[in-house]
Amino acid sequence: MVKARRGSGGVPVPDKKELSGRMPIEDAGIPAELTLFLSQHTGAPSKPLVNVGDEVKRGQKIAEAQGAVSACLHAPTSGKVKAIEPRYQPVLGRESDAIVIAPDGEHALYEGLAPVGDDLEAISQDKIREVVRESGLVGLGGAAFPTAVKLQPPPDKKIDTYLLNGAECEPYLTADQKLMEEAAQDIVFGFRALMKGAGVEKGIICIEDNKPDAIRAMEEAAKPYPELEVAVLSHRYPRGGEKQLIEAVLGREVPPPPGLPLDVGVIVSNVGTAHALAVALKTGLPLVERIVSVTGEGVARPSNFRALIGTPVSYLIEKAGGFSGKPGKVILGGPMMGVAVKDTDVPVLKGTSGVLVLPAQAVKSEPVLPCVRCGRCVEACPMRLLPVWMAAYAENGYLEEAEKMRVMDCCECGVCSYVCPSRRPLTQSIRLAKSQIAAKRRAAAKK
Amino acid sequence: MESKRSLIGEFTKGLIEENATFRMAIGMCPTLAVTTSLVNGFWMGVAVIFVLTFSNVFVSILRKVTPDEIRIPIFVILIATPVVIVELVMNAYLPEMYRLLGIFVPLIVVNCLIIARAEAFAYKNSVIRSALDGLGIGTGFMINLMVIGAIREFLGTGRLAFGSVAFPAEPLFEPMAVMLTPPGGFVTLGVLMAILNILVRRAQLRKAKASA
Amino acid sequence: MTDRLLITSSPHIRAPKTVRGIMLDVVIALVPACVAAVIFFGVKALMVLVASTVSAVVSEYLYEKAVKRPVTVGDFSAVVTGVLLGLTLPPGVPLYVPIVGSAFAIVIAKQIFGGLGTNFVNPALAGRAFVLAAWPLHVTSAWLNPLTMDAATGATPLHAFKGGQAVGSLTDLLIGNRLGSLGETSAVAILLGGIYLLVRGVIDYRIPVAYLGTLGLGVFVFGKPGALFQGDPLRGILLGGALLGAFFMATDYVTSPVTPKGRTYFGIGAGLITLLIRYWGDYPEGVTYAILLMNLATPLIDRFVVPKYYGYMHDVEARRRAREGGR
Repeated sequence: MVKARRGSGGVPVPDKKELSGRMPIEDAGIPAELTLFLSQHTGAPSKPLVNVGDEVKRGQKIAEAQGAVSACLHAPTSGKVKAIEPRYQPVLGRESDAIVIAPDGEHALYEGLAPVGDDLEAISQDKIREVVRESGLVGLGGAAFPTAVKLQPPPDKKIDTYLLNGAECEPYLTADQKLMEEAAQDIVFGFRALMKGAGVEKGIICIEDNKPDAIRAMEEAAKPYPELEVAVLSHRYPRGGEKQLIEAVLGREVPPPPGLPLDVGVIVSNVGTAHALAVALKTGLPLVERIVSVTGEGVARPSNFRALIGTPVSYLIEKAGGFSGKPGKVILGGPMMGVAVKDTDVPVLKGTSGVLVLPAQAVKSEPVLPCVRCGRCVEACPMRLLPVWMAAYAENGYLEEAEKMRVMDCCECGVCSYVCPSRRPLTQSIRLAKSQIAAKRRAAAKK
Repeated sequence: MESKRSLIGEFTKGLIEENATFRMAIGMCPTLAVTTSLVNGFWMGVAVIFVLTFSNVFVSILRKVTPDEIRIPIFVILIATPVVIVELVMNAYLPEMYRLLGIFVPLIVVNCLIIARAEAFAYKNSVIRSALDGLGIGTGFMINLMVIGAIREFLGTGRLAFGSVAFPAEPLFEPMAVMLTPPGGFVTLGVLMAILNILVRRAQLRKAKASA
Repeated sequence: MTDRLLITSSPHIRAPKTVRGIMLDVVIALVPACVAAVIFFGVKALMVLVASTVSAVVSEYLYEKAVKRPVTVGDFSAVVTGVLLGLTLPPGVPLYVPIVGSAFAIVIAKQIFGGLGTNFVNPALAGRAFVLAAWPLHVTSAWLNPLTMDAATGATPLHAFKGGQAVGSLTDLLIGNRLGSLGETSAVAILLGGIYLLVRGVIDYRIPVAYLGTLGLGVFVFGKPGALFQGDPLRGILLGGALLGAFFMATDYVTSPVTPKGRTYFGIGAGLITLLIRYWGDYPEGVTYAILLMNLATPLIDRFVVPKYYGYMHDVEARRRAREGGR
């Protein structure tokens, strides 16, 4: 077992995993409509391969990857393409093109799908990379970065370690936890495939210590393979952030942006991604469904679902017994980094690990007081920045000063806002400054 | 850049709007040093009114023939003249006060208030305007010194003294020694400045609202 | 459809600690010291504490009403300032001293600079410095004998200690059975409050540890006149207001550095200045001025003592390579 370090910053956050942590993964079933955004992932949107009115089947490719950083898209069930039109994409926060499918209820599998096999020795590295690319695999932890890109590092970068991220440090969410408990064998198979695909010899499975059952299951499953180890991390947000994980497990620090984990010889993938690859190799089924925790004090029966990509959030909440009382906020993702949505019509994306419903009485807004310079945000910042000054500069429009304070290094984990006793929206101010600076840089680059 | 105010305006602007100490924050040295009592403040103020008025007049008279490059030395000579007059007169007729104000009377020569008015106003304006400006700014300055002096004297000694007569005869409370020291001067000055700023800002707001 | 949902930027949950809760914790932590003061010095101590606290709260209320700002009396910060100021005063002072001191602390030192969060010196200490300069005799000699509560003549133990003379037993110093200001006599009561603050996560241990450590070490080295390394560090810390200052004044968020390392430097600096004033200065006690001076140095510390950002050594490395490549 790998001994993990404490790492920089971070805060203890309430766990809240007990809400949905004991519920087994259930199949959510087929909703009346599926909305599949062409922009599911980080990078360029995919290009549709189907037209309105076409019949599609489960696993059929309906959009092709476009450009170097992109991923393709598949139909999660059989049915008819109802529309290809702009819909509200909650993570981007704006309208974006989507393929809308009306399921026929048959759930018929696409004929072209063929299993690759379950013997890794017999599968070549190139075959694995091809499957990853063709299955539309993206990081299922939240950022949805196309996995195929990670597996092909530039030749001058020597990758020595592959980290499998099962930290799930966000409160409430239990999707990764349940997957590790119930499908440890598949995850280990998928992880070994990822390692082979990237040509990495050593793999470490990283789990926070608040998931003892998952740790046990993963250790059991990893035992036959000497190249795999399990690292147990203390529960502290944002331990599961890519950079924080690398720091805590390996003691390495990723260079400041545009530095990547590749630069310190590491690739990080989510346990869900490994599982999806295992499914693709063993059955031929591409990434068309994922585990989604529907949880929070605002739902009647917190649950974990295996949901088709594109399932409306309202359908999942209904499956979880509906709202308990008046809902205040519905959040895609966890409470620290998730995105609040204005209604529940939005669909599940590839990167949606949870749907969190906070009841109305829990989201009362508190007055924002002046900063008292308590320094809690400085101690909590996992990037060892000074949120107190960055936010102050950002609020007053001093973008250059904020940039000098390395505002662009901020990972927007939200701990500074979380700990602030004056309830100042530090993360929000910093995020705004970052987008303004990025816009300025783009404008300067165009000139 | 001739000033466009009315002649009365040239005088009254020095009282509040362009108040030397509180609004423009110049001439702070004597303000802090000599204002330990009301009477000190009064006599220092009189000296400054005299010097400022005459120096403004001299500078204004000679403004057309003063070469730009060496105007500051010329100002200093022009200012020194009334200062010497004041110093000698005070020494002759108010020796006690002269002893109390000490070095700060001759130091009026380099008081930035006087040079500032010469440079910023008298050098660009007519003799009449310059004289009124000097009188007005000087009067405002004297009032400042008297107010600060009165507050510090009252809090620092418990009463106000006018020569041999003091009011009230016995201190009303335990005097606060700190008010007679420089920190007390700074605190008094700062608080008065803040109050005046608040009042002026409120007046401006009211004006803006009324005109809107 | 569902009811209207709230949309805000993440994070969507907040830590339970609020400014008000923190200030309330400080008030609770001050209770033992106040109780000890009342036990040893009786009603007079109570009167001083009540006068300073009421004056602080009323001043804050009146000022904020006068300048038409939102009234922030509810955040308890004025209460903290008032109680702290009261604790720095001797039990026998006339009541106008705490009243004027608190008013000065709140109006001049805190509100004029913008209120909580923007004051540049600790208000309670500024208030104490003011009354010390205004009525030096009252603030440095109005001692009462503990328990008997009659007026005491003579100097506090700190004076005697400074001269190298023997001072009371450690037990007396710990419990508070000695001359001194309300809050500096009972070390046990102050420590109790300090430990409460540490346990509740209200204050950073670095400031009190660095401060008292520096002071203790300094007293050990220089504490005995004419000889080095023979001082009595324990008595050096227990005498005077160092404990109260270290746990309650120096740890004031607004006027101490925001970075952990900066706080260590802040504590060391305050300890050094206290030593300088105690042994080479005119004043018997230097805690007030030491902390006030370090308050003034805080922006400087915040500017220069910053944590190394995540991944900084890659930048260092890149610069080194660029330098060597350029040669």
